[in-house]
Amino acid sequence: MFANFRQSMAWLHTWFGLVLGYVLMSCFFFGALSVFDREIDRWALPETRFAPQPMPSFDKVLAPAFARLEADPADYALNMPAMHDPAKGPQTPRLSLPADEYWAYTTHRDPVLAIGAGFRVPLAKDPDGHNHIHGNATIDPRSGAAVPSDQLKIGSQWFYPMHYSLNWQWRNMGIFIVGLAGLVMLAALVTGVIMHRKFFREFFTFRPAKQTQRSLLDLHNLTGVVALPFHFFFAFTGLLIFAGFYYFPVSQFQLKPLHDQHEIIEARETGLPHARAGIPAPLASVDAMMAEARRRWAARDMAGEVGFLQLQHMGDANGYVSIYRAGSDRVALVGEAIHFKASTGEVLREEPPRAPVPALNEFLAGLHLQHFEHWLLRWLYVLGGLLGCVCIATGFIFFVEKRKQQHARSGLQGARVVDALAVGCVTGMIIAAIGILVANRLLPAGLTDKGAWEQQIFWGLWALSFVHAALRGAPVAQARINPAWREQCWTIAALALAAVALNAITTGDHLLKTLFLDPYLAVAGVDLSLLVCAGLAIAAALKLARRERHPVAMGAADPVEVANA
Amino acid sequence: MTIPLTASLRKFSLPLRILAAILGGWAFSWSFVACSTTVLVGLGMPFHDAETASLMLGLLAFLTVFLWAFATRSALRVATALPVGALLFHVVALLLQRQILSWGL
Repeated sequence: MFANFRQSMAWLHTWFGLVLGYVLMSCFFFGALSVFDREIDRWALPETRFAPQPMPSFDKVLAPAFARLEADPADYALNMPAMHDPAKGPQTPRLSLPADEYWAYTTHRDPVLAIGAGFRVPLAKDPDGHNHIHGNATIDPRSGAAVPSDQLKIGSQWFYPMHYSLNWQWRNMGIFIVGLAGLVMLAALVTGVIMHRKFFREFFTFRPAKQTQRSLLDLHNLTGVVALPFHFFFAFTGLLIFAGFYYFPVSQFQLKPLHDQHEIIEARETGLPHARAGIPAPLASVDAMMAEARRRWAARDMAGEVGFLQLQHMGDANGYVSIYRAGSDRVALVGEAIHFKASTGEVLREEPPRAPVPALNEFLAGLHLQHFEHWLLRWLYVLGGLLGCVCIATGFIFFVEKRKQQHARSGLQGARVVDALAVGCVTGMIIAAIGILVANRLLPAGLTDKGAWEQQIFWGLWALSFVHAALRGAPVAQARINPAWREQCWTIAALALAAVALNAITTGDHLLKTLFLDPYLAVAGVDLSLLVCAGLAIAAALKLARRERHPVAMGAADPVEVANA
Repeated sequence: MTIPLTASLRKFSLPLRILAAILGGWAFSWSFVACSTTVLVGLGMPFHDAETASLMLGLLAFLTVFLWAFATRSALRVATALPVGALLFHVVALLLQRQILSWGL
């Protein structure tokens, strides 16, 4: 089918890159925003604009907050009938389910605290199975008061899941599509290197003043090659994080017997009970356990904040409390767990240093999830993600530029369609992302289910940008520029400026205050980024307007290389 | 009217190759992960360590067979080799698992 190896790799790069590139663009862009997801949350939820807090006292704050948790109605409706055995008796009502597990999770960037419970199904079909109905909440760790659950954390609950699931939960479709896109990203990197013979020269080559095609290809290669390790590792580690549960779930399918046997061995070796004993038992002071954990970490000369707290088999003699250290001082994730017997507070187990394989896995996952405290490195992550976006976007535009003269001559619409889709997924995506922030400031705070409104506006704006790009795309079929690029750049600039202004008006946290008078850098950072975005969008719009008035010659500078691309 | 087999194959060769690369490659690497996990557990590695190491190798295997699926000459070869390989790895994984479980706890 393909004449030679290089041609087959070029075909793969072009067509898979084009089709999955639209998805990859969202992964890279929303992934880059996720680096500062907690800061975007603060911008969107003004009442949570206070300093990050350590894990609060269990006895004073967490215990009453846990007691207030309820099983989630949707989770109950979906999973209760599947887990409950009607032959053993009536279904336990949602609010009467006994709690089996509690957890609380925080990082060095969180003012608010995420907590959750796993409720036990008393009359389960499979009593040995993991029968949990979940219920989660966010609380203010200073008082234990709940943060309203219909408020959307736009950073960590919308942009962050967007980058790995496209926020499409139906049968985890989004996660699988992103997985395929991740594989294609790896394949595109390998094939991209194969296609380009002059690999190292491309490190240093960018000719912005040459013809559009030439400078586009330079920029595509430069952004691809300069950040090659970044792109490869992010696609790879992203796939790895989901591989065990979603893509290759061997431990739930063909190797389930082996996995279950291992759980029993593990429980025996670690002394951490796998199941409940069925004997009621009280809970000793968890604050004392946390103090002991901090003392032990300090004795090992480690930064000692509690990142993750987990209570298993609540109220049972087999109950235990696991306390994990927050990974703010290294790449790997939470770790160095110390486990306590819940009823007495004695130490059951202090986790030994990791074996090489899990240590490597923690490092790779940590490299992707960045729990460390290093602001410069965080910004470099954003830069890497945006370089990925530039690489993909220039790929789209190169695809169009290479074909639009010929399509114009032969009356084909292909270049026009690809170009309109590129507009929608490049500028349209930015419009949606800034649009949801503007909506967040415009919608009244007391609006019922405000988060759902914001999500609808996000999708609505994004859909509109595709429609706009399609309607304005006629010039592409005549080998000219789609004016939608320029118009959407102006829209981005207007929305970004509006967002900054609205934040100042509705919350009083203007840049002078957040930078100098009463510094709060999370909000200042989002505002400044929006201003930079507005500036870049205006510059791009002006440049596009010049190009539309005086089109430059579109010849191919290097026919051999352009033909290969 | 009969269409010669080779001609109809050629027409479907690209869709066949794409499907085989994605679905066949997925099945192949999934079974590869299962097989590699049982081999490593058999060699004495704890289950989750073996699983994690195999997932890393399995992702690289997926990338490799995905590229091979487009580099190799015959689409039919891709469409047969990957499912057959998947089946082989799967069977070996099941046999090894039975063997390991028979050793007891």
